[in-house]
Amino acid sequence: MKGSDNQEKLVYQIIEDAGNKGGDWRLKLWYLHIVTYALNQVCHHPTPRHTFFIGCFLCSRRIWSRDIRYKSNLPLTEINKILKNLESKKLIKAVKSVAASKKKVYMLYNLQPDRSVTGGAWYSDQDFESEFVEVLNQQCFKFLQTKADTARESKQNPMIQRNSSFASSHEVWKYICELGISKVELSMEDIETILNTLIYDGKVEMTIIAAKEGTVGSVDGHMKLYKAVNPIISPTGLVRAPCGLCPVFDDCHEGGEISPSNCVYMMEWLEF
Amino acid sequence: MTQAEIKLCSLLLQEHFGEIVEKIGVHLIRTGCQPLRVIAHDTETSLDQVKKALCVLIQHNLVIYQVHKRGVVEYEAQCSRMLRMLRYPRYIYTAKTLYNDTGELIVEELLLNGKMTMSAVVKKVADRLTETMEDGKTMDYTEVSNTFVRLADTHFVQRCPIVSATETAEPTPPPPAPTLVINEKDMYLVPKLSLIGKGKRRRSSDEDAAGEPKAKRAKHIESKEPIPDDGIYWQANLDRFHQHFRDQAIVSAVANRMDQTSSEIVRTMLRMSEITTPSCAPFTHPLSSNEIFRSLPVGYNVSKQVLDQYLTLLADDPLEFVGKSGDSGGGMYVINLHKALASLATATLESVVQERFGSRCARIFRLVLQKKHLEQKQVEDFAMIPAKEAKDMLYKMLSENFISLQEIPKTPDHAPSRTFYLYTVTVLSAARMLLHRCYKSIANLIERRQFETKENKRLLDKSQRIEAIIASMQATGAEETQLQEIEEMITAPERQQLETLKRNVNKLDASEIQVDETIFLLESYIESTMKRL
Repeated sequence: MKGSDNQEKLVYQIIEDAGNKGGDWRLKLWYLHIVTYALNQVCHHPTPRHTFFIGCFLCSRRIWSRDIRYKSNLPLTEINKILKNLESKKLIKAVKSVAASKKKVYMLYNLQPDRSVTGGAWYSDQDFESEFVEVLNQQCFKFLQTKADTARESKQNPMIQRNSSFASSHEVWKYICELGISKVELSMEDIETILNTLIYDGKVEMTIIAAKEGTVGSVDGHMKLYKAVNPIISPTGLVRAPCGLCPVFDDCHEGGEISPSNCVYMMEWLEF
Repeated sequence: MTQAEIKLCSLLLQEHFGEIVEKIGVHLIRTGCQPLRVIAHDTETSLDQVKKALCVLIQHNLVIYQVHKRGVVEYEAQCSRMLRMLRYPRYIYTAKTLYNDTGELIVEELLLNGKMTMSAVVKKVADRLTETMEDGKTMDYTEVSNTFVRLADTHFVQRCPIVSATETAEPTPPPPAPTLVINEKDMYLVPKLSLIGKGKRRRSSDEDAAGEPKAKRAKHIESKEPIPDDGIYWQANLDRFHQHFRDQAIVSAVANRMDQTSSEIVRTMLRMSEITTPSCAPFTHPLSSNEIFRSLPVGYNVSKQVLDQYLTLLADDPLEFVGKSGDSGGGMYVINLHKALASLATATLESVVQERFGSRCARIFRLVLQKKHLEQKQVEDFAMIPAKEAKDMLYKMLSENFISLQEIPKTPDHAPSRTFYLYTVTVLSAARMLLHRCYKSIANLIERRQFETKENKRLLDKSQRIEAIIASMQATGAEETQLQEIEEMITAPERQQLETLKRNVNKLDASEIQVDETIFLLESYIESTMKRL
C-alpha cells in the first residue's frame, strides 16, 4: 500500500472493516465524506497518520490510547499531540470508563458511549447509585406483594389463585415506568436485574413459561414470571440466643476473660 | 467427639445424674471402649461406684456393652444419645399434644427411668394422675393402659431387646455378658395384661405416721404379687419422635410458602407414610391421589378436582418437596424427604447469615448458593452492591467459614495474577460448622444458668426453708397471723430478686430448647446426606 493516496488508504481500511462486520456501503461512503471534511479541517496537509487515526476510530466504536499506539506504531508524544488536536476540533471525545477509572477511552464525537463503558442505568458519573437501586428494589417488591395478597384473598380455586399472583417482567416494567421514580429510562433488562436481586433476597421466586411470540413482554418465545413469597422458616433458634450473634464467641470459655458467667451480652439479654 | 460435645455431655450428665456418673461417662467418651477394671483404675474410683455408675448409664441407654474375644466385656459411651437428653422436654410435649396428659406422663416416666415394665408404668402414671384430680376421683388403670397401647401402636414406645432364650443341650457356663436381641415384629407387641386397679392417692398423713412399718408393708405386698410381664421392658422410641419433628418442620415450611390446605395435604401424605417408610429413606412410598383423597381429615371438604389441582401445584413448586412419580391411580406422588431437609438446613444457614451480618450479606450468600461458583466481579454485578462493600462482606463471610474459595489456575505455576478465584458455598461443611457452634452455645447457656442459681443459692435456701415451715405449720393448723409473720421473713427486694432469678432461669431454659431445634434440623440434614454418600 505504500505510495498510494491517503484517501485510498482510508477507503481500503473501511472496506476491510466492512468485510469483517458487513456494514452498509452507503454508510461507509458517508463516513468517507465526513472524514475527508475532517481531514481538511484538522490540518491543511493531512498526513497519512491522521487518516490512519480516524480510520481507527471508525473501525472500532471506541479505542484506548494504548491500542492506538500499538496499531499505528507512532511515538507517544506525537499521538498525544494529534489527539489533543482532534479533541479541540471536536472530532473525538474522551470518556472515562467505569470498569477502570484510570483508563481514557476515545471515540468519535457524535457517538453515544456504550453501556459497558458508562455502566448503564445504575451509574451516574461513575458512581454506583445504591439508593436508586434500593428504592427500585422496594417498589418492585411492594408491587409483587400486593399482587400476591389480592390473589390470595380472592379465594378462588388454587390454580387461578396461583396464576394471578404471578406478574411478568413486562408488567413490573410498565408499573415502574408509570411510577416515574426514575430519571433515566429503564429497559426491561434493567428491571429484570432488579427482580433478580429480589430473588437473591429470598423474597421473590421466578418461573419461566413458554409464550407465543406475539404476546406482550415475551422474549424469544418465553416469559419470565415473578411472585412474592414468604420465607420457609422463621428465624432459627440459634440466633435467638446471645451466643448465636456473639462477635467474640471463639474467645469465650469458662474461667477466661470472656466467659458465660460474666458475659455482657447475656446480662443485657436477660434484662430485656 | 469434639471438645464442645464432650463439654455439653459432661454438663448434662452432671445435671441429671451427679458427679460420679459424670466422671465415668466423660472418661468413657474420651477414651472409647474400655473394660471395667481399666475404668476403675483410670478414674481412680472404687470398683463398686464404677459398677453403680455403669448400671445407671446402661439403664438409660447411654452406654452399651460388648463381649470381646477372650471374654472381656467392654463398655462404650454413646455420645449422641447423651445429647438427646436436651430434647426430653420436646418429646414429652409432643406426647402431650398427641395423647393428652396420660401420654405425657407415660413418656415422662419412661424417659426418666430409662426402661420400665408396662405394669410399673401404668401403676405409677395412674397414681400421679390421681394426685392431680379432684378429691374422690381416681384414675383407672385401663385408661392408662389404653393410652400405652396406642403409643405402642404408633411406635412411640418400643420394647427393649431381651436375653434370647436359647436351649442348649449341655449346661455351658453363662457368658460374661448377655447378648440382647429383639425380633422386629415383637418390638411393638403389647403383652396381654389385665391390669385392674385404680390409682392411689398418696395421703400426706400416712407418710408421717408409721413411716417404717409402711415401708415394710409395701415390700411385703410387692413380693406377694408376681409382676405378670416381668422381663418385658419398654423404652421410648426416639427415632419415631424425630420422624414426627421432621414431619412437623416440613408441614410448617409448606404452610409458610403456600397455604393451609396445601400443608394439610402434605401432613396427610406424611401421616400415611409414617409406618411404611423407614425414617432415613430419601423418598416416601408413592401415594396415589385417590388414597390421599380418602385419607384426608374428615372436616376438610375438598373435592377431588381441587385436591388434584393442589397436588399438581405442590409438584410444580420450586421447593420440590413433593414430586410426581407416576400417573396410575390418579397420579402417584412422593415426598422428597432429603430435599426437604436440605432446604430447611439451607434456610437455617441463610437465617443465621442474615441475623449475624445483615440482609445485604444474606443477599450475597443466597446469590453464591444459587449460582454455585462466582467470581468477585460477578458477585458485585448480580447482587447490585457497590464493589467495596461487596468485597468487605465476602471477606467477612469467608473468615467465618460460611463461604469458601476455589482456585482455578490458568498456568501451572499457580501465580495469583493468573488464577481464577471463585466463591462457593458447601452446605454440608457450613452445616457442620454451625452445629459445632450450637453445641458450644447450649453449653454456655447451661453454664450461665448454673452460675445464676449458684449466685442466689443463699436466697433460694432461705426461701425453701420458709416454705417448708409454712407447709408444716399449715398441716398442724396454725393461725393466719402466724403464717403471715413467717412469710414476711422474706423481704420485698429479696422477693423481687427471686422473681428475677426465676424469670432468668426460665429464659435460659427456653433458649436451650430453641437452640436444640436448630441442632435437630442440622443433624437430620447431615445424617440424611451422609446416608446418601
